[in-house]
Amino acid sequence: MSEISHNIVNESPDAIAKRLMQKAHNRDGLPEIAIGLSFLTVAATMWMQVVFHPGSMGYTAGFWSFALLVPAMILGSQWAIKRVRGQFLIEKAGYVQLKPVNRTRSGIVIGIAFVVAVVAAFAAIKGSFPPASLMLARTGIGGGLLAALSGGIPRFVIGGIVMAATGILVAFSRVSLGLGFAILFGLMGALTLVSGCVVFLLFVRQPAETGE
Amino acid sequence: MSKKIQRLGEIDRIIHEPARLMIVALLAAVEEADFQYLRQATGLTQGNLSAHLSKLEEAGYVAIEKAFRGKYPLTICRLTERGREVLDKYRKVIRAAL
Repeated sequence: MSEISHNIVNESPDAIAKRLMQKAHNRDGLPEIAIGLSFLTVAATMWMQVVFHPGSMGYTAGFWSFALLVPAMILGSQWAIKRVRGQFLIEKAGYVQLKPVNRTRSGIVIGIAFVVAVVAAFAAIKGSFPPASLMLARTGIGGGLLAALSGGIPRFVIGGIVMAATGILVAFSRVSLGLGFAILFGLMGALTLVSGCVVFLLFVRQPAETGE
Repeated sequence: MSKKIQRLGEIDRIIHEPARLMIVALLAAVEEADFQYLRQATGLTQGNLSAHLSKLEEAGYVAIEKAFRGKYPLTICRLTERGREVLDKYRKVIRAAL
C-alpha cells in the first residue's frame, strides 16, 4: 500500500490505471506466449526465404506465410487471448470489458504501418536499404527498448536487454539480413515463449480465490 | 498559489484514499470489471477490496451487480456518471495544486 500512496503523488489516475491494467494483462503469460509464437513464425518464414531459392516452393511458402500468416497472428492474438481467458481462466483472471477501440487512433496506426510497408517495399526493390548490420543492430536495440518500456515488468526488461545484445552480436557477425533477422526473432521468440509458458503454468497452479 | 493550495480542501476524501483511487482509476479506464479482475489488478485482499467497493457503492460512485458467465458467478463493477464526475474533478484539483 505504501507503494500505491507513493505512486499516487507521482502519477495521474490514468497512468495508475494503465500500469495496473498492463500488470494484470501480463499476469497469466498468455500475451508472451502469443508474442513468442509470432516471433517464431517470423523467424521460420525468414529462414525459409534464406534457405530456399527464389521461385522454389519453399521460398514462395515462406514469403506468403510472412505476408499473410504473421499479420493474421498479430491481429488475431488479442482475440484468441480474450477467448482463452473467458473460456478457461475466468475464475482466476477475472472478467473485464475494455472500452471500444478508438477508431481514429487505430486508423492512424494502420496508416503509418501501411506507409512504412510501402517505403520498405520500394527500398527493397531499389536496393537502397542501409547496411544489414546497421538494420539488425537498430532492430535489436529498438525492439529491446520497446520490450523493456512497454511492460514495466522485470522479466520484460531482461528480455529487452537480451534482444538488444543479440541484435548487436548478430550485426557484428556479418550474416545476411534475412538470416540475421531469423536468428534475432528465433531466439527472442523461443525465450518469450518459454518465459510465457512458465508464467502461465505458475498462474494456473495458483489456487483460485472466488467470491467476495 | 495559495488559492491553488486552498483548492486541495475540495478534494473528495472517499476517492482520495489510495486503494479507492486505484479502483476508481481502473474502472474509469474500462467499461466494466468483475471483483476477481479488480483483485488481481490492484493486489488488494478480498476483504479490503470488498470494503472499499462497499464505500464507493454507498457514495454512488460505483454500481455493483451480480451476473453469471456460464456457470461462473460474477460481481460486476462499473463506474457511475457521478463517479466519473468526481474523478474528473479530483484530477483537475490535483493537477492545479501540484
